[in-house]
Amino acid sequence: MPRPEPRTISFTIDGREVQAPENTMLVDAAKHGDVEIPVFCYEPKLGNPVGACRMCLVEIEGIGKLQTGCSTPVKDGMVVHTQTERVKEAQRSVVEFLLINHPLDCPVCDKGGECPLQDISFGWGGGISRFIEPKRHFVKPLELSPKIAIDRERCILCYRCVRFSQEIAEDYQLVLLERGAHSFVSTFDGHPYVAPFSGNIIELCPVGALTSRSYRFRARPWDIEDAGTVCTLCPAQCNVKLTVRDERVLRVLSREHSEVDDGWLCDHGRFAYPALAEGVQRASENGGGPSVHVGMRVSQPLLRDGGELRPVSWERALQEAGVALQRAGAKTAALAGGGTTNEEGLLLGRLMREGLGSPHVDSRVAGSLELELLQTLSDPRLQAKVSDLEFAHAVLLLDCEPLTDAPILDLRLRKGVRRHGMRLERCSGEQLGQLRELAGRLVEEAGEELVILWGERFAAGPEGAERVRALLELADELSLADVDGAGLLEIPATANGRGLRESGVLPNAAPGLRPAEAGDGRDARAIAAGLADGELNALYLLQADPLDPLDPFATSADASAWGAALERASTVVAHATLLTQGLHEHANVIFPGESYAEKEGTVTHPDGRLQRVRQAVARPGSTRPGWQVIAELGDRVGFDAGVRNEHAASQLLFDAVPFYGGLTLEQIGGRGVRWQERPRSSTSDSEQGDDAGHEESSKRSAPDPERFSGAEVEQHGSGGAPDPDPAATAEQAAAEATTVTDTPAEGRGTGDAGESG
Amino acid sequence: MTPVPRLGNAPHADGWDRPADLEKDPALIPDPATTPVPQELRETIEQLMARYPERHSAAIPALHAAQELHSWCSPEAIEQVACVMEVTPAYLDSVASFYDMLEQQPVGRHSVYVCTNISCSLRGADALLEAVEQAAGEDPEFNVRAFECLGACDIAPMASVDGVYVGPLELADVPQLLDDARAGRAVLPHKQLATRLVADPHANSQEFAPHAPEEGRR
Amino acid sequence: MSDVLLFKDIDEPGLDTLAVYEARGGYASLRKALEMTPAQVLEQLEASGLRGRGGAGFQMGKKVSFLPQGSMDKYLVCNADESEPGTFKDRELMQKTPHTLIEGIVIASYAAGAQRSFIYIRGEYVLQADVLDAALAEAREAGYVGEAILGSDHSLSLVVHRGAGAYICGEETGLLDSLEGKRGNPRLKPPFPANQGLYQGPTLINNVETLSTVPAIIAMGGEQYAEIGVQTSTGTKLVSISGHVQRPGNYEIELGIPSREIIYGLAGGPPEGHEIKCWFPGGSSAPVLTPADLDVPYDFDSLAKAGSMLGSGAIIVVDDSTPIVDLALKVAKFYRHESCGKCTPCREGTNWTVKMLERIDSGEATPMDLDIMASVQDHIIGNCLCVLGDAMAMPIGSMIAKFREEFEAHIEAARARAELGLAGVAGTGGVHDPERMQHPGVAYESAQALGEELR
Repeated sequence: MPRPEPRTISFTIDGREVQAPENTMLVDAAKHGDVEIPVFCYEPKLGNPVGACRMCLVEIEGIGKLQTGCSTPVKDGMVVHTQTERVKEAQRSVVEFLLINHPLDCPVCDKGGECPLQDISFGWGGGISRFIEPKRHFVKPLELSPKIAIDRERCILCYRCVRFSQEIAEDYQLVLLERGAHSFVSTFDGHPYVAPFSGNIIELCPVGALTSRSYRFRARPWDIEDAGTVCTLCPAQCNVKLTVRDERVLRVLSREHSEVDDGWLCDHGRFAYPALAEGVQRASENGGGPSVHVGMRVSQPLLRDGGELRPVSWERALQEAGVALQRAGAKTAALAGGGTTNEEGLLLGRLMREGLGSPHVDSRVAGSLELELLQTLSDPRLQAKVSDLEFAHAVLLLDCEPLTDAPILDLRLRKGVRRHGMRLERCSGEQLGQLRELAGRLVEEAGEELVILWGERFAAGPEGAERVRALLELADELSLADVDGAGLLEIPATANGRGLRESGVLPNAAPGLRPAEAGDGRDARAIAAGLADGELNALYLLQADPLDPLDPFATSADASAWGAALERASTVVAHATLLTQGLHEHANVIFPGESYAEKEGTVTHPDGRLQRVRQAVARPGSTRPGWQVIAELGDRVGFDAGVRNEHAASQLLFDAVPFYGGLTLEQIGGRGVRWQERPRSSTSDSEQGDDAGHEESSKRSAPDPERFSGAEVEQHGSGGAPDPDPAATAEQAAAEATTVTDTPAEGRGTGDAGESG
Repeated sequence: MTPVPRLGNAPHADGWDRPADLEKDPALIPDPATTPVPQELRETIEQLMARYPERHSAAIPALHAAQELHSWCSPEAIEQVACVMEVTPAYLDSVASFYDMLEQQPVGRHSVYVCTNISCSLRGADALLEAVEQAAGEDPEFNVRAFECLGACDIAPMASVDGVYVGPLELADVPQLLDDARAGRAVLPHKQLATRLVADPHANSQEFAPHAPEEGRR
Repeated sequence: MSDVLLFKDIDEPGLDTLAVYEARGGYASLRKALEMTPAQVLEQLEASGLRGRGGAGFQMGKKVSFLPQGSMDKYLVCNADESEPGTFKDRELMQKTPHTLIEGIVIASYAAGAQRSFIYIRGEYVLQADVLDAALAEAREAGYVGEAILGSDHSLSLVVHRGAGAYICGEETGLLDSLEGKRGNPRLKPPFPANQGLYQGPTLINNVETLSTVPAIIAMGGEQYAEIGVQTSTGTKLVSISGHVQRPGNYEIELGIPSREIIYGLAGGPPEGHEIKCWFPGGSSAPVLTPADLDVPYDFDSLAKAGSMLGSGAIIVVDDSTPIVDLALKVAKFYRHESCGKCTPCREGTNWTVKMLERIDSGEATPMDLDIMASVQDHIIGNCLCVLGDAMAMPIGSMIAKFREEFEAHIEAARARAELGLAGVAGTGGVHDPERMQHPGVAYESAQALGEELR
């Protein structure tokens, strides 16, 4: 489906000529001329404008009545006035009308200081009210749901929240009841508004009518700082803004990114953070039980001593873990999941391979796939991106339930269906024949832009490889790689599944999906079996607990198999944020892990977007950064990763993964970079590396056209050895950023990296 | 919940002070397995939905039908309609509470809508309403309401009794009006709108005898 | 009056049945229309100059021509949500000659290329909806509605859809939302219904009277129809007249006759001993006119020139027995009750206006409040999503402007009463007084006298 490609027009606003994309609404077009038109009900994320609040009235030459800027598309040559007395009077009157029944209880309102009604009253209101009648009064606040409080006195009936429920989440639970001045926002017959995305209405509310029950009265806007990062609680990797006060995250807000989350958050992402930071069960709620208990936040190293986990010093914990792992050596296995960053994954892989000589490392829940298949699946031309889920002619969900696998994509798919008439079908991997038939029919009926959104579990089990092969054949048959906006998008089982695979946390691949030098190791299922029958001795769990039913790894093998595995393992070393059941029972050493708000590093979105996780608050207790713990553990087993700070860890990653080569953290920035879209022009365009040595090094880490299997890559990229001189970091990286991408491109990938979407 | 003291003419509507009951489950589209719907109502609603290209269009007629059965749009009634129409009950509640004729509270079986809009009130409708209210008293059979213009200003002041328009009414008509409704008889036959000829002397109306009155409804 | 088109045979017993209607020449226009091409029918409609009878007075033929050509699903919706206070003409038509409306709908749908049609009738009109349903069944049976009508290639489905009591559903886009099974909130325009109306399809919306006029136009020819009335207001118009007149009811008039002829000549003027204080020429949404305006010709443009509008053609006469504050309060309360609540100025402005008027009536206001009230009306007019806000603000504004002295006297009298502990006697308090029913002016006059005394 064609993406909107507006042409630029020029119009006049308040006497100035301004360029803006044609047909954008005036309120948005005005911003191009630094003119702000106030709005309450207008929110483009909610669909078509409704023109209800009347705050955005402007004067347009040639039209008698004032027009709503939120619903008037800008046209070439339009002459708009926002500062005439007529406009000002209309705006003042709308503010006056809105404040008639508003209680003006700003001093005790949680929204005070970050309230659009306050700002607009100040900026556009008349400053006085002529309304002297009694105001309406209700009981307030009232519960709307366990998470949201509603204050109906403050509501200005802008319709945003009900539009969200009805038109975005499409749960149609939140509605307006009654009519006229009696209208109020409510649910049916006192039922709570409980839905997967309900928390978004708090953020949408332009007044203090909908507030977060967990955030209410915890801070004033001037007490807090915003910290942008990425939520790594699921593969959707929504961009978030954390509200921080006194080193505590009090609130999670959306940091809108149209290519990731479209400005929405799921309730889990929005409300789960406190539990992550403080544990799902605090000691005080533990009924005076042991201080080390399931559900607690791990904030210091724990060591099993006499059958019980007890807090110990880092020195002791590292010592014990190091000795045990070294003893197990090549009989050690490792799993990485949860919000493990690419850097941690890379270091874990190297610790295992280079430090312990063990290839048994996995981040896939579904079991290993032949490397060749993994590489083909990563073909940029075949890669669909998030916005394709909205604009494609059809999306086929294959063994994938967006609402649980990556909730925010559920909203994106609904948007596609609702706004663009996208076809949406489901299919199970059990019936490959049906898949073929359905996909063919979709392309024929809806159009060639077909995106197959598939879950990692499609590739699980003994027929996994067979299925993936069939999927790739199907993609080939339907030419998905050649059609703009078509392609495959896999939702991995774990939040950073894609990043971990690309950084080498696979039994059969080195970083960058290159062949593993030392041969293939065991996948998760085989690790369980190996531990159970004694072929493996030790297990390193990086943000994973296969015995925790909520952990994706729980599905990687039978619960009984994992039970036996952990029972039999002589050593279980874990790196955990929360103490889960399996770790509580079986771990010998537990290192405290960071929550995503405490962490620095990169993750890779399922569509290949590298995103930065930024530290927003201090690590609790004696928690150390994950990369550092792995590096220190490396020291104990005689492996020096050569990493002394988190930036060096990232640099190591960019050097190790050919198609991340030359990236810098600055480039990734706050919006992320899809590695498939990085510019790759030909050498002849100059800016060639100026010395041979540099060129050599740039070749090594360049995204090779044959990306994963070129001889050159195998030869030079072995182990993705870190830059021998860590100090050469930033400057060289910057240099590489240009030179690297200028590497001669040969073969099928020529210059088409950006075309996959 | 402590009641909020209210000032004289501050507005108030039912529901404004009602919190959500956190013990309840969210109100999703009712499950047919756990939402019994009277067969007749189900069939009526299904027929109504079939009349329109889009099933939602049947919302108002379906709510009317449910109200016939339950005498008001009770939560139960709304859930039944929601179940057949496959929409959330909140959707229907939102619709029902928008319209004057869909009752939000339990009401009497016989509705007496007294028009109190301009033309009727110029001719004494407010006193008429008071008289009807007084005469109906606490009788649970009656649902006496002031109504906005019913579109029969030619017979002002008037009322719609179970859907039958009568007027012009005098205070003395009130007892019989209620008796007729209660008995299910034709209400005030000689004052029914149905019997009236067009006032226009240029129409040929005046040649004809008055039309027959309507039977009592309900 | 020579031209009786709509009210021809109106009270003939059984005219609501197909047999009588056909015997009186019914459905001949449909046969005639189906022999023409849709474009020719449209030509006749355009030539007739027929302006919409619902309130806005937009040329019907033009409206039909705005519908896009093509084979997409198109809809025709008959607006029978007659709710404008004082208006009851459509009721009379639907009840007594339902087949005229059905015939008009079929012809108009033929011209517009619509294959699905709906009559949205207000829920209160139970009798009329029943009559329509019965007539529709007969028409279907006789092949006037349905597939391949009278052997032509025109097909039309027709559904009588009953509303549930909301004035705003008379607004065309509110009606569409309501017909789609939603709250009757008006939509933002553009897009206009002609492009995106019912179910997002092109939709023609016309009032009952407008559509009922169509058969007559086809029968006599558009040009001949245009000779009735005046140049910009052609044809005959049903006028509903009510309030303080001796013979309230519906009258079919030729557009352009003096208003006085309707109010005094047809309806007999106010009760004896009373003078007209003011009159609404086109429903309660129209700014009030005074006795000085009685000679204004009753047509669209003349009334507009006089500062009001023809609207739905409903004249409400108010005589000197009624305090203007009472009237204003009635009007304001009605619009507050009927405001859908979607847009701010209407929702809050109607509410505020009612409160101010109540305060005036209870003796808690000063003349300054009149200025505020007038300015509130100014802030509503033109700033709302639909015309409901304007529909209150225009008459209230006109009342303040034309009867300011009376408002001020009322304020003063009410204050005096309140100070003497006699609150409730003045103004609306008095309306509830049974005495008032016989002597409507008494309470007001006594309060006025007292106010003057105190002054």
